[in-house]
Amino acid sequence: MPTLLLEIGCEELPAGACREAAEQLPALSERELGAAPSQVYVGPRRLGLLLEDVAEQTPNEWLKGPPEALAEKAAAGFAKKHGVEVNDLEVREGFLGIERPGQPLRDVLPDRLDAIVRGLSFSKSMRWDDSGIRFARPVRWRLVKLDDETVVGETSFGHRFTHGALEIPSAGEYPDRLREADVEPDAVERRRQIVDGLDAIGGWNDPAGVLEEVVYLVEKVLVLEGSFDERFLQLPARVVVTAMQSHQRYFPLGGNRFAFVANGGDSELVRAGNENVLEGRLDDASFTFERDVRRGIDELAEQLGAITFFKGAGTFADKTDRLRRLAGELGGGEASLEAARLAKADQASELVREFPDLEGYIGAEYARLAGYPEAVSTAIEEQYLPDAARGPLPQTEAGKVLAAADKLDTLETSFSLGHKPSGSRDPYGLRRAAIGLNRLAVEGGLEIPRALLKDEVREFVEERLEGLLDVPVEYVRAAQASAAPDLGSVARLAQSLHAERESPAFDGVYTAYDRAHRLAGKSAGDAAPELNRSLLREDAERALAEGLAEVAIDGDVREALESGATLAPLMERFFEDVLVMDEDPAVRANRLRLLLDVRDTLGRLGDFSQIPR
Amino acid sequence: MAAPTFQDTIRALEGYWADYGCVLMQPYHTEVAAGTMNPATFLRSLGSKTWKTGYIEPVIRPLDGRYGENPYRFQHYFQYQVVLKPAPENVLDLYFGSLEAIGIDVRSHDIRLVEDDWEQPTLGAWGLGWEVWCDGMEVTQWTYFQQLGGFDVELVPAEITYGLERLAMFLQRKRSAFDLEWAPGITWGEVYRESERQWSVYNFELAPVEVLTRRFGEHEEECRVLLERRLPLPAYDQVLKASHSFNLLDARGAISATERATYIGRVRNLAREVAHVYLELESDADAAA
Repeated sequence: MPTLLLEIGCEELPAGACREAAEQLPALSERELGAAPSQVYVGPRRLGLLLEDVAEQTPNEWLKGPPEALAEKAAAGFAKKHGVEVNDLEVREGFLGIERPGQPLRDVLPDRLDAIVRGLSFSKSMRWDDSGIRFARPVRWRLVKLDDETVVGETSFGHRFTHGALEIPSAGEYPDRLREADVEPDAVERRRQIVDGLDAIGGWNDPAGVLEEVVYLVEKVLVLEGSFDERFLQLPARVVVTAMQSHQRYFPLGGNRFAFVANGGDSELVRAGNENVLEGRLDDASFTFERDVRRGIDELAEQLGAITFFKGAGTFADKTDRLRRLAGELGGGEASLEAARLAKADQASELVREFPDLEGYIGAEYARLAGYPEAVSTAIEEQYLPDAARGPLPQTEAGKVLAAADKLDTLETSFSLGHKPSGSRDPYGLRRAAIGLNRLAVEGGLEIPRALLKDEVREFVEERLEGLLDVPVEYVRAAQASAAPDLGSVARLAQSLHAERESPAFDGVYTAYDRAHRLAGKSAGDAAPELNRSLLREDAERALAEGLAEVAIDGDVREALESGATLAPLMERFFEDVLVMDEDPAVRANRLRLLLDVRDTLGRLGDFSQIPR
Repeated sequence: MAAPTFQDTIRALEGYWADYGCVLMQPYHTEVAAGTMNPATFLRSLGSKTWKTGYIEPVIRPLDGRYGENPYRFQHYFQYQVVLKPAPENVLDLYFGSLEAIGIDVRSHDIRLVEDDWEQPTLGAWGLGWEVWCDGMEVTQWTYFQQLGGFDVELVPAEITYGLERLAMFLQRKRSAFDLEWAPGITWGEVYRESERQWSVYNFELAPVEVLTRRFGEHEEECRVLLERRLPLPAYDQVLKASHSFNLLDARGAISATERATYIGRVRNLAREVAHVYLELESDADAAA
């Protein structure tokens, strides 16, 4: 059975488009060609599919018509539509229909290739002529070979600058012929060659992850090494790395060396050119850096009144004032207050305008250059941490305080302006801020008073604890309703409740809470505002009230549970001996109050009604 | 072989694209922040008439000046702009041919097309394309326009914008634009460095904020008056002048982030109305013909 090659020749596709195509091509091949490709080739200038042992005939196709029962009415129309006589129709599973014989594969290939081209969808696409096709970049040639027969197009093309039109004698020879023409069509193989080349140089790293893009920036892999003047090492290190990675897609090798991947050319010329370009970039960054440093971080901080944080949220000077207040409320010391004052100064710097990802880092460098204590500089640097779900936390106390203050302010400000995340839209990064805040409390041990968060924000933040703690969500919800004073306590309470869930004390508290809540929870409106001891008539209710006065809920969760559990037998007796719904409304109201007091006292440990039993 | 001077490079580009059949235009007579804003690109790329042009454009970006201190940033520099409408199938080969014509051996250098999607909010315009790298140096911005003035293009043009200083730095192996040889015996710096210093003083320190704010409004008003008279060409000049006033205000630090969006929106609305009337006139003329 023959081998089939389909090639879509393009102008240089972006890496993202290549990945989208690679993802969609196997399914499109199944849909349009009835078989999965044995090989998918994806690169900047071509998308290729190779299918081995394809059937030369497309399968017969059953065209299903009207139900047999409706034959009289509908059969003629159906037959006419498909150009056959009514007599030719068959019946299968109660339906009329007709079996259309398969066609020679070669006859349908032009249309099927066209359907694949039109079937690929890209997140960004364009028009370039009047064909109505949208693609990531213009499609310039098509080639279909069935073994050695050319079904669509004429030739392929080799490397853009070293080879022109390229004869592919037969489908199976496609990859080898391309390799002879300076093209490695297989992305996996290109990646391997790049990594091998980088490994051979050694010591490379790729913090920004440019490798996955570079794989799609070349058809021929040429890994080269270069260096730059050592005087640029006086620039903040991450400025150098960002210039290399984001601007030039280079791989830092440490010190003043770098590696990069070219698409061909004369190694010496290409190396010299790239070195020249990088030095130009670094030289430019040096000009910017020196201008900032001449102004100094304090002068930059004074200019924050002219820069808007975001619409409705005032300027960065306003944000700075709020950060200082929050840092104080979080119990931050001198270093964190000073760091809060300077935290946003780098927003006024030219270097952050050029390298926005380096906010915080640049400010810290400028604080160091101005002679601020290391604790202040580090806190400035750590203020955006954690910046990923599992990213590292600030290591210093002042850094934790500032990081929490920054997130608290962003959350409070955004919510107060109505910018709540909806669905997948979260332009202000509020989910990340909320998770960060929880991690600062839970993993970082920072005490973040819940009183600092308004209700809506507190709910939003605490909901995010659910994903963070390895505890069923009900326990988190129960703990959220407790009197725990800070975020970390909520988390610890949820974990403790879960850990204690099988203990007799937990069971006692749960039962007591549950019974009190069930009976009195819905009648809170009828309860007396306060317990009146003189209205307690029965021994059992007096005993319960006395027991309740002894219960201590604060402190260690286990002790609190044990203390609370002492109410369980008293509750048992209460329900045996006492009729809550007494005829005397005052007595009734007093008894409801007693039960509610039991519930609310135990409820300081959490809302047990959230936990199913 | 001696490296081509700056003016050699300009002449080589002119010659190459003239030979191809482009109408060689001249720089526009009012300030533009990009060759794209010249009506020879922005307006001629609209509508159903074919068009091929090439021209040099001095681009004016007040915010980018650095007092002639930084050899990589200027408030005034040069682009060579080519528009082919519609883009012919071999348009990339034509472009690579132009690199050969100015002395770049594309086989011995690493020429790459790196995704660069272009958007110009003040013009309601976007397109897809690349930045072209020569051994890592970005020497050209390449765009297939998709929308201009909020209108889908009818014939998709290719816009090729050569950054002349970068290109010359590559060809002359110079790290500083000031050191580029403009003509034999005279450098780019000798021609323009003092101009950079003086204009930076004006742009950053002296440009009169109140006057410019008022002028912005006046240009906007005049544009509307001209559109009512169905004169999109002079109306478009008022868009450019409003846009330049905005850029100067921006350099003076007189525009907050909130205001910025409003200003951009106002220019975009004008650009849309101009494009609308321009297209209407063209279709009226077609109907009359």
